[in-house]
Amino acid sequence: MKQTAVDAVLRGMQRAGVSVACYLPDSLFRPLYPAMDASTGLRTIPVTNEGEGAAICGGVFLSGKRAVLVMENSGLRASVEPLARMGLGAGIPVVMLMSYRGEMGENNWWAIPHGITMEPVMQALRMPYRIVREEAGIEQAIIDAYEWSYSAYYHSAVVLGGEVVR
Amino acid sequence: MSMTRYACMQALAPRLKDELVILSLGGSVDEWYNAAPHMRPASLFQQQLGCVTPQAFGLAAGLPHRRVISLDTDGGLLFNLGILATLGNEQPANLFIVVWDNECYQSIGGPPTHTAAGRVDLAAIARGAGLEQAHTARTLDEFDAHCAAGLAADVPYLVVAKVATGLQPGIKRKHSDGREDKYIFVRHVEATEGITIMGPSEHN
Repeated sequence: MKQTAVDAVLRGMQRAGVSVACYLPDSLFRPLYPAMDASTGLRTIPVTNEGEGAAICGGVFLSGKRAVLVMENSGLRASVEPLARMGLGAGIPVVMLMSYRGEMGENNWWAIPHGITMEPVMQALRMPYRIVREEAGIEQAIIDAYEWSYSAYYHSAVVLGGEVVR
Repeated sequence: MSMTRYACMQALAPRLKDELVILSLGGSVDEWYNAAPHMRPASLFQQQLGCVTPQAFGLAAGLPHRRVISLDTDGGLLFNLGILATLGNEQPANLFIVVWDNECYQSIGGPPTHTAAGRVDLAAIARGAGLEQAHTARTLDEFDAHCAAGLAADVPYLVVAKVATGLQPGIKRKHSDGREDKYIFVRHVEATEGITIMGPSEHN
């Protein structure tokens, strides 16, 4: 992931009013995590699994602050239970930013399940998402996700793939 | 165990005024609804394992000037022990966690949780994860003393209340669902914080 893409993510978060980022680090977003840690006005909370991060983000929503859950797309599977309970059961939204492991061009066998399951899982949760493969679209995608989630009070996701994370 | 969860709630409730509470699960929801009616809008009633303390921590992180209370359960905490390590690292100064440990999954008829065998010590796990103030209460006096200490602490404070398995008889059921409870809670946070969380739509 290039520094310019990292900067675009941070600009999008700032313009969307995000002040808390929960994350479980992954390799494709590697430079993003220290950049978030160093970002003024953004509190980062490393978590032990992405489901825990989703629930923390839900709690941040209830405080009036805005949170983001940053993770590899495999974390989506780990988050399904709290996402379903909070989103479908109570209308507590979580906005996610995830790296696209397992898309066409993937060269790691262990990442194949992430690509195969990602979109069907989001569709099962009836969750809108945008896959961004060009740097120019990152910032607006993040802003749009927050606009939608704070109108629907439901989850949304931005997935960064292709050259953006390679 | 002779201490009941409801008696503990009756001890905790009068101590609360401006605090925010997130709780789960099953029978404890109806018990808190009855034991702390003045805290109804300040309480978010959930029905989920593993989310209560993480949500309470998120709320505490967003409102660091406000005391937040997590009323969790043995089954709920065991579902996601990782949150203890996160709390150990983050050290939220405004989070008080009560774990109702009745050693069973009461809401589905009472099969045992992992604490029932007598080897799993949730307070010890919490201390090992970095929560120095993590204790076990076996009597109402002990529980009440930990409530006083936990609500005044400037570090995260956890008390495991070893409670009987029964449900308090004769209490009213709470009829609202998770969505209605969310709105009631959010409107209470908005009113008491002077903020807007779920605002009006744009006109465009």
